[in-house]
Amino acid sequence: MKSTVLTLSVLATAAALVACGKSEPPAAAPAATEAAAPAAAPSQWPELRVAIDPTYKPFTYKTESGEPAGFDVDVAKALCDELKSKCVFVEQAWDGMIPGLLAKKYDAIISSMSITEERKQSVDFTGKYYNTPSCVVVKTELNLGAEASAFKGKKLGVLKASTQEKYAMGELKPAGATIVPYDAQDQVYLDIKSGRLDGTVADVVEVDGGFLSTPDGAAYSCAGGRIPVEFDAKYFGAGAGVAIRKEDTALRDALDAGIKAIRDSGKWKEISEKHVPGVDLWGS
Amino acid sequence: MTPYILSILQGLLVTLGVALGALVVAVVLGLAGAAAKLSPYRLLNWVGDIYSTVIRGVPDLVWMLLLYFGGQILINDIAEAMGFRRGPQINPFAAGVLTIGFVYGAYMTETFRGAIMSVPKGQSEAGWAYGMSRFYTFRRMVLPQMVRFALPGFTNNWLVLLKATALVSVIGLADITNLAKQAGAAARGQIPGAAIIFMAFAGLLYLLISSISLYLLRKAEQRYSVGVKRGTF
Repeated sequence: MKSTVLTLSVLATAAALVACGKSEPPAAAPAATEAAAPAAAPSQWPELRVAIDPTYKPFTYKTESGEPAGFDVDVAKALCDELKSKCVFVEQAWDGMIPGLLAKKYDAIISSMSITEERKQSVDFTGKYYNTPSCVVVKTELNLGAEASAFKGKKLGVLKASTQEKYAMGELKPAGATIVPYDAQDQVYLDIKSGRLDGTVADVVEVDGGFLSTPDGAAYSCAGGRIPVEFDAKYFGAGAGVAIRKEDTALRDALDAGIKAIRDSGKWKEISEKHVPGVDLWGS
Repeated sequence: MTPYILSILQGLLVTLGVALGALVVAVVLGLAGAAAKLSPYRLLNWVGDIYSTVIRGVPDLVWMLLLYFGGQILINDIAEAMGFRRGPQINPFAAGVLTIGFVYGAYMTETFRGAIMSVPKGQSEAGWAYGMSRFYTFRRMVLPQMVRFALPGFTNNWLVLLKATALVSVIGLADITNLAKQAGAAARGQIPGAAIIFMAFAGLLYLLISSISLYLLRKAEQRYSVGVKRGTF
């Protein structure tokens, strides 16, 4: 799961300081929204602007013709249907995701953003709409288990400021592994290929699409299937949710109801099978 | 593969648009900044000093985000205080052009200031002695001579500015770098080494633009050095 910590939240704080002349409490905003919406409108949200960072296949990417596609995008469309809104996708680079939401460039982030305590300080989340585990990838022939002590002496690459990095630094490094952070997960795969790394810690779906299913990754696999479940709460959070501004509580409730509705109707299952067949994306 | 290459080529237009727009802003601000710094008025000197110091002392990326996100929050707050639902949206293209132009204007200020100082003072004095106005003297005597001194620094600034346009990816503009990154991510698993191929292609495009500009600017340098013997100053 994509989980780069937004390094720019500091900046957002600075931006908030710029706007410190603000006198009204934030709670006044949704009231204004309701007041401004035409009374006869069929939906409270005729248009929902959804931010995506289309560099995360198979969850969010662009097709050859430039259309947004992927699991996140289809979930967003289904949620918009539930809200009787029109989805408008806004592209935003990952670094500016939360600042853009706070600046009202869009109303929701549906781009595989992990629900973490750190992000909850600046934005609000719905419940999860998927949750996939992570695993440690090394050569299959080593025949290692998932426990941290198995990776003593191994050199592993991780995505900088990700939940996987937190786990690697917190559990694998004390157990004797060398952890090397990278700016992008693709760079990690390139360095495994070049022989500088023994493996990586990554989301199971991401690593399957990006590495294990490619010729370069043929000799590799997830050691012991996945990282032991007891570390989920401490390092990996509750899965990916829809991020919204803290004051938009009505929107959050509507989206939560929408997630439940598409789960119940089987729509969610259909989308999940379409993009990641045979894998339980909902998780534990 | 071809559709991705074509989409990156579309990014070329965005990159060129941002770069050329920013260049115009930077040249105007640079001339104004140089004039302010060289003016006999203390107040204008201060304004010029503050501009070039503050802008050059803060990273471009920080300016970009501060203006685009911070500026938008400020606009929203003002609009909401006035009773509107939300403020007018800052256009990412305009934000990119203005931020990059604003930042590189500060570098141009120093380039132009140096170039103006390289033209002997006696040239302007001769103009004034003939009764020409200050502006006329600048346009007809100083400007044609300062161009030669300004061009090397100008060329340098332009090349750096061109590559700084890659920062507009952060505010969601579909420039070369942004589209190459997206293409690399989307074609993963279909084209081996997609990320590297598309990034290398993006690099080639930047190299192509800078090579063409270097050629043109070298021509300009020759043109403005017509009256100068090579090997002398």
